[in-house]
Amino acid sequence: MIEKFSELAKDLDPAVFWEYRAVLIPGLLYNFYVFFLTVGVAVGLGLFVAILRLSHHGVLRAVGGLYAEVCRNTPEYIALIWIYYVPPLLIGLAIGRNISFSPLLAAVIALGLSSSGYFTETFRAGILAVPKGHVEAARALGMSRLATMQRIVLPQAIRHMLPEAMNQFVSLFKGTTLVSLIAIPDLMYEVSLVTMDTDRALPLYTGAALIYFVLILAMTTLVRKVTDRMRKSPRMTG
Amino acid sequence: MSAPASRSDNVVVRIVDLHKYFGELEVLKGVSLDVHQGEVLTMLGSSGSGKTTLLRCINLLEQPTSGEIHVGGSPMGFHIDARGRRRPARGAQLNAQRAEIGMVFQQFNLWPHMTALQNIIEAPMRVRGWSRAKAEDIALRLLQKINLMDKRDQYPARLSGGQQQRVAIARALAMQPKVMLFDEPTSSLDPELVGEVLAVMRALADDGTTMIVITHEIGFARDVSDRVVFLHNGLIEEEGAPDDVIVNPKSERCRRFFAGITR
Repeated sequence: MIEKFSELAKDLDPAVFWEYRAVLIPGLLYNFYVFFLTVGVAVGLGLFVAILRLSHHGVLRAVGGLYAEVCRNTPEYIALIWIYYVPPLLIGLAIGRNISFSPLLAAVIALGLSSSGYFTETFRAGILAVPKGHVEAARALGMSRLATMQRIVLPQAIRHMLPEAMNQFVSLFKGTTLVSLIAIPDLMYEVSLVTMDTDRALPLYTGAALIYFVLILAMTTLVRKVTDRMRKSPRMTG
Repeated sequence: MSAPASRSDNVVVRIVDLHKYFGELEVLKGVSLDVHQGEVLTMLGSSGSGKTTLLRCINLLEQPTSGEIHVGGSPMGFHIDARGRRRPARGAQLNAQRAEIGMVFQQFNLWPHMTALQNIIEAPMRVRGWSRAKAEDIALRLLQKINLMDKRDQYPARLSGGQQQRVAIARALAMQPKVMLFDEPTSSLDPELVGEVLAVMRALADDGTTMIVITHEIGFARDVSDRVVFLHNGLIEEEGAPDDVIVNPKSERCRRFFAGITR
């Protein structure tokens, strides 16, 4: 029994990870690539739908609300698989031709939609936190709705929502580890390929877990630091 | 100082038979009022009298139910929708009209993410399209005037209430409006800070600024205004020179109001 453990311990050799750096590092970079593309989609859609949800039109509000509910209540795993297989099928039927989504496109859409539901709520709360009087002051000076949104509301809303948004970025990054499911060559995918070749699951999966742990720990620490600093800034109050 | 009421060519704000409902509640019941070039008009009345609603109708922060408002000779925009109801004017026309009307709020409403100077130059640059140099030139002169040159790069949170309100006045003045509206500008200030804001407003009045002021500062109303309007229940109850309305009010309601607050 003890012998077996010591054998395993010998096997837990970080050098294995280094040996395969040529595939593992690009794999990790792929995680970041997916992450940044997804952030773009999630934040863009989130802001757009948040503005819908704050509209004067009941119909637009309802559409925005439904969108946010669907996005937030669908597991990312399901969204990923569904987007990868179903919309290409439907579009293919509609145009009478076989099409498919590239795994990267499907991943960015699926993860983007999924977390845009949360960004919608975050943006909405951030915008609602801006006092109505600040908007009235801008409108009374003749500023257009758009200028008021850009110059007065959003800069304040973003400051309000930044701590929450940064937490969502972290969980979005965690979500990118799912994309290996549809054969995107990210770190987990590469690790599983190498494991199949070498049969050394222990060092490789442990190494991958450690890398994610360290990266995400670094991110959350950064989030905490930035949040603390913002709380003390004079721009946040008043 | 008072402009002759007989001449109509120097009317800056003309309000004709203004009605405003909030749901079933009629807050303004037909108010007509002319404010002349260089005139300081003070609106008095208890809360619920409709004075704030009247002021906010002038720049269409509230949409009147019926009646007309002209500022600088042009009607404040509205259009009639398909069902024959009045609808707020939208877009560029309304923005251009609002740019001609300065407003000072009870809660200051400075933008907290901008410094004092940035608060003042924002609308001149965005709305008037002035260069930064021109906007800053005007802003700095205003900061000098309100004696806050040293606070130009401070964020509002670092300013006292009185300082914030003075910056808010400068922000409105930077647009060089035809008329300044003051909605209880000293009501949320600590008593010791009221004086500095009133001093700025007195200086404006002396410069010939056209002003419509809602205030509970009876001293200011009596000393500075050319005319006082007393509102009650959405109607003008009494109107005239400050001494006539404040010292020798004709109506019983007006008398009780002033007896209550000057005691």
